[in-house]
Amino acid sequence: MRRQAWLIPVLAALAAIPAAGQTTPEHYYDVDKEVRFEGAVREIVLEPRYKGSAPFLVLRVEESGQKTMVTVEISPSWFFGKDIHGGEKVKGIGSLSVGPDGTRTIIARELQFRGETVTLRDKRGFPSWQGGPRWRRGIRRFGGL
Amino acid sequence: MIIRKMRHIVLLVLVTAVSVQGATVTLTFHQHATQNLFQTSDAVAEQISAFSLAFNQDISSLSLFANVGYSAFHQTGGLSYFAADLGLDHLVPAGAKSAFYFAAEGAGAFYGQEYEAFSTLGGSLTGVFKTYLAPSSILRVQWQGMYASYADSLFDFLSHAALLSIDKYFPTQTTLKADAEYGYKYFLHPFVPETADPLPEGGAVVMGAGGGGAGSWGSGAGWGGQRYEGGNGFIPRAGEGGAGIGHVSASVLAAQGIGDVVGLSASAMRQWIVSGENPFMSIEEFYLVPNPSSDAFSWDGHQLTGRITLDLPWSVEIKAGYTYSDKTYPGVESMGLDGLPLGIIRNDVRHLFEARLEKSFRFFSVFLAYSHIDNASTDPLFNWSSGYVMGGFQWNLPARRKGGLS
Repeated sequence: MRRQAWLIPVLAALAAIPAAGQTTPEHYYDVDKEVRFEGAVREIVLEPRYKGSAPFLVLRVEESGQKTMVTVEISPSWFFGKDIHGGEKVKGIGSLSVGPDGTRTIIARELQFRGETVTLRDKRGFPSWQGGPRWRRGIRRFGGL
Repeated sequence: MIIRKMRHIVLLVLVTAVSVQGATVTLTFHQHATQNLFQTSDAVAEQISAFSLAFNQDISSLSLFANVGYSAFHQTGGLSYFAADLGLDHLVPAGAKSAFYFAAEGAGAFYGQEYEAFSTLGGSLTGVFKTYLAPSSILRVQWQGMYASYADSLFDFLSHAALLSIDKYFPTQTTLKADAEYGYKYFLHPFVPETADPLPEGGAVVMGAGGGGAGSWGSGAGWGGQRYEGGNGFIPRAGEGGAGIGHVSASVLAAQGIGDVVGLSASAMRQWIVSGENPFMSIEEFYLVPNPSSDAFSWDGHQLTGRITLDLPWSVEIKAGYTYSDKTYPGVESMGLDGLPLGIIRNDVRHLFEARLEKSFRFFSVFLAYSHIDNASTDPLFNWSSGYVMGGFQWNLPARRKGGLS
């Protein structure tokens, strides 16, 4: 156990780290401002969104029937977990904020595309994503859907 | 000894995970029921309760992740195990359309005395580059290296795999994808030093948990089954040094969306062993044990898969699939039920049916899954057909303030 003692202060230090990714007051998931969105992906970019956090996958979506663009913020590292393409039809639910210049941004909670739903946050807005490689060499098990 | 000590570290990680503010914490519970735990003709029914706690914390551009879990086996208590992993990952943008991803991870699984041979500690390094060649086309290059040290050192290995993938999305909601992979796995010392004794009638050599060559005589009817008497169930060859096995594979996938509700996909994969062979004369499945041979490195053959996904109202999702596989395990001999070699390399033809129903609620999601496998093998011990039921829930703990990043 003595050899592991060095881990205790390390873990304690990690526990003391202030919550990374604190958002600015005007940019957070507000469940009272949830909206539905639907359209075609026109642009896919990685953008820094929050201080102290990895860049986020951000979609520029042309809304169906309106020809207006909305920015949809997905999550960090999801860029590698799922392959989404320009031109794909997507729809989902998220929290809408409107900037001073009228720019509309949606923090996505749920995204549907290709007949599949990806849950990014729970219904209170808490993130569901997890770190770690998604490409572990699979143990041959069944029940893997 | 190291493995026992690691349990304390894992507990510290768990305490840290739940105490850190600003983290993502996810609690999951899965209940499994199977009619054939060890996937042999000597069927053993079992129920398994699996708990896990996953934690993710952003530290600047790094992400710290950890998982701890415990799986309790109700009938075969010796198989109950504790597993944990801890790692860091890092996303590095290379322009707006490309990025590198790096991850380093340590992992362990710890079994009770009866199955201690499969207790393991290890680590992995992952590097990925992903770029949009065009808005509708993605290129991915990926490499992963792994090391694992088992309580039974026969299984210790190093491996690496490199993957090249390219896809294209069409306005008809069609996606075409092609993958190519090269992988190599090197067992560091899979042999026993002395010449193996000839097999007696009705018996087979079963290595002791220490892997030191002090074999005992098994029943020849499946070491993982009701007559399991300890050990790892593998039959090593006599020899010295390490042994490697390398493969290349190619796969294609076509996916089609139909409206907003239906997703269809079909894929085909062909894999060739290009160097070496499996170092063990016999391979057991040991379902739910991270079996050192139960991976993509051990077989030569092909696999065909079809899947359908239905995204229904009220947050209900249904997935179903069928997989046909024909796999040969170079170096692995088929054994008769009397434990004597049949003189043919083991080949398995498998039909797998899967279905999963998932419903999301406000605070959690629940699912129910069913699988059925028909496995025909040149080794009669592995001729079996069985069903498998799994249900569970996932709950994100409110570790972040409401409305935060959150």
